[in-house]
Amino acid sequence: MAAAGALVAELPPADVLIDRSARTRFRLGFDRAMSWLTPLLFLVAIVPILDMVYYISRKVVPTLTWNIITSTNPYQTDALGVPLQTTFYLIGLSTALAVAFGLLGGIATAELLPERWANVARTSANLLVGTPSIIIGYLGYLAFVLYFGWGLVFLSGAVTLSFFMTPYVFRTADLAFSSIPRHIREAALGNGAAPSQYILRVGLPIAFPQILTGVFLAMAIGIGETAPLVITMEPGVLVPSNVFSPAIVLTEVIWENFTSGEPLLVLKAFQAAFLLLVIVLALNVIVRVISARYQKRLEGLYQ
Amino acid sequence: MSGEGPVGNGPILSVDHLTVTAKGKTLLDDISLDFASNSLTAVVGPSGCGKTTLVRSLNRMTELTPGLRVKGAVNYLGQNIYDRSVNPVLVRRRIGMVFQRPTVFPNSIYENAAFGLRLVHEEEGKIDIAVRHALTRAGLWDEVKDDLERPALSLSGGQQQRLCIARALAVRPRVLLLDEPTSALDPGSTQRLEETMEHLKEEMVLVLVTHNVGQAARVSDRVAFLHTGHLVEMGETEEILERPKDPLTQQFITGRFP
Repeated sequence: MAAAGALVAELPPADVLIDRSARTRFRLGFDRAMSWLTPLLFLVAIVPILDMVYYISRKVVPTLTWNIITSTNPYQTDALGVPLQTTFYLIGLSTALAVAFGLLGGIATAELLPERWANVARTSANLLVGTPSIIIGYLGYLAFVLYFGWGLVFLSGAVTLSFFMTPYVFRTADLAFSSIPRHIREAALGNGAAPSQYILRVGLPIAFPQILTGVFLAMAIGIGETAPLVITMEPGVLVPSNVFSPAIVLTEVIWENFTSGEPLLVLKAFQAAFLLLVIVLALNVIVRVISARYQKRLEGLYQ
Repeated sequence: MSGEGPVGNGPILSVDHLTVTAKGKTLLDDISLDFASNSLTAVVGPSGCGKTTLVRSLNRMTELTPGLRVKGAVNYLGQNIYDRSVNPVLVRRRIGMVFQRPTVFPNSIYENAAFGLRLVHEEEGKIDIAVRHALTRAGLWDEVKDDLERPALSLSGGQQQRLCIARALAVRPRVLLLDEPTSALDPGSTQRLEETMEHLKEEMVLVLVTHNVGQAARVSDRVAFLHTGHLVEMGETEEILERPKDPLTQQFITGRFP
């Protein structure tokens, strides 16, 4: 009787729904600790970034003039017009190439290739993302600068950089098409759409916001790259007049001047860094606005 | 075509010794049946009996599921659609399909209804007429005629499903396949859709997959009862539902079936 009584006492009474077992108390405590830890970790991540932005801005903003940003005069040592414009052209060409190859590859992988080859393509893209950019730069140097004989010019840099950006576009295109609801695909094909018609008329409009996000991500990453460009392009003093001109981008300005010890040159590096920050921020805002507008059209589709 | 009667004499759609397997498992076993013109044939049976596989094999949708193998023939106007020279895209343009859940595309009502016509680059003027006609036949015109540019996704579930029917009807198919079209709808929408089916069956071949014997009784002219991939029984709806010959059919229609 006593033994039975002890056993019963260990169990909570049937009419009480609160569980006070050690396991549950631990779970609740863990839960609470984590809900404090997560915002704390967020702060740990965001504070250095904000500090950096603040530090650069405070240093740079009072010194920036419209003339410094726009002047392309090669004799004006404090001007950033040349690398700024070159950055836009270079990213423009790299993005165009990355979108062309990434989009075709991603759509083919999601829609057309048999599963086995699709997985080969996905693995290759993941490997390419994981490859250090300096190695991609070296491969670009071997292939375009030496083997194709283009030399240390704009085109070598742009094509090398596009190799770096393509897998980001590829992955979002693949993911965006793969995540279109199955019944939408079947409805299109079941009502007589050829695969190409499904891709262009139904799939692409649905996948567009996601793909756009990937393209802008690739651009933001490309803009921040230095290593592949340093070894595939000779720094130019002018905005390149054609694809076989030498070229210099903003990240190279930072790379060249930051450790020079010369206060004016160090300031120039900071100014270039500030312009990069502004561009990347602008890209993020633009992509959010555009995708939000398109996403609205898709409300109700994924129910 | 060889050995078949001229178009117009034979049935518009018939199935001839159709067997579908998936990785060694038989989903449909040697099915042969004719779908009568200007009538609605209900395909009924318990879950997993192969009724959806049957209806999907009627316009080669089976090919979209990797691993399915189809043997035998499905004849549309005397032509075996599984013939190697037949393009499945053209088959699906002639034999439309409506699915369990509404599957509207994220653009306007008008563009949804015009989908099939845009695929074949129909002229604008003809598209306008065909869209209006299709929406009318699907019983949706009066509700949407004032605002065809509205997003189709803003319609209710029942309206979306009728829009899917309009989308399939716009290309004027002679056969329409309906795979449990009311399973996601409320009773009111179901009733409206059943009324639409009753109108449509007067001018085309309708094949309706349903797990609902009541629905089969209300709208169908003929019933095909499938069980574990076999065609157990087929005949006039009244005949099958009131005087089934096979004990399996009897068990199913009296609800004594899982």
